[in-house]
Amino acid sequence: MGQEFVLLISASIFCIGTAGFIIRKNPLIMFMSIELMLNSVNFLLVAYSRFLNSLDGQIFALFIMTVAAAEVVVGLAIILTIFRTRHDMDVDHIDTLKG
Amino acid sequence: MEIATVFDFAHDTVIFVVGVTAVLASLGVILCSSPIYCALYLISHMICLALLFLLYNAEFLAVVQIIVYAGAVMILFLFIIALLGGKKEAPENSFHRAAAFAFVFVMLGELYLLATVGPTQQVRGEIPAELFGTAKAIGIELFSKHLVVFELASVLLLVAAVGVMCLAKFSFTLIKKRAR
Repeated sequence: MGQEFVLLISASIFCIGTAGFIIRKNPLIMFMSIELMLNSVNFLLVAYSRFLNSLDGQIFALFIMTVAAAEVVVGLAIILTIFRTRHDMDVDHIDTLKG
Repeated sequence: MEIATVFDFAHDTVIFVVGVTAVLASLGVILCSSPIYCALYLISHMICLALLFLLYNAEFLAVVQIIVYAGAVMILFLFIIALLGGKKEAPENSFHRAAAFAFVFVMLGELYLLATVGPTQQVRGEIPAELFGTAKAIGIELFSKHLVVFELASVLLLVAAVGVMCLAKFSFTLIKKRAR
């Protein structure tokens, strides 16, 4: 399959992730949308490491997975703490820090 | 072993079907109203991506994708959803939704045009074909060229673990009093 197909799939998944981050109000689903975006970039890196016959893309994808795992753990802990204090999950209602 | 030879009769067809399934599963993630279904769609999306990694000769990354993402991260998501109660969202303002989709599809077309303006130069790497994507080749790359980044990643994971413990043990009575 050519490079155009890979670019198209990856760009679609990235944009779907962006749309999900914009239109959803549940912070958990917003996190899942971020995961979608990271995954689309991973796929592009892996496919291009095959096209260019170099392993650097796969190493980058590995590091993206590491960062994503750390980010998910910290983010979910923050969501859990917010839920424990406010008993509310809608990001539109969490505006205590708003000036 | 090259896994792609198994599908040699229809390599392109398999990539096409799996890629389209990945896109459909990601649509399911953002369009389902119940968080638990979103998580299940995301797991199927991760599995599709792992298959795509296999088809592009990244065997080690495919295994890591299944273990780390579809395993650890998604189980964490499901635990949190079970803990918080998977309530459905209130229905959206349809104008916001339409605006977001219009924006995103304009961006999609733009990305596609940008990416296909010039053909990418094909380079011949030095990785032998039978080693490409295996744990051995990735280990050699990781511990020779990218050693500093590897150590930094370990520091990042340690900081994340300590930070989560601090977050979990922190007492919130003070903030609760102030909020009321």
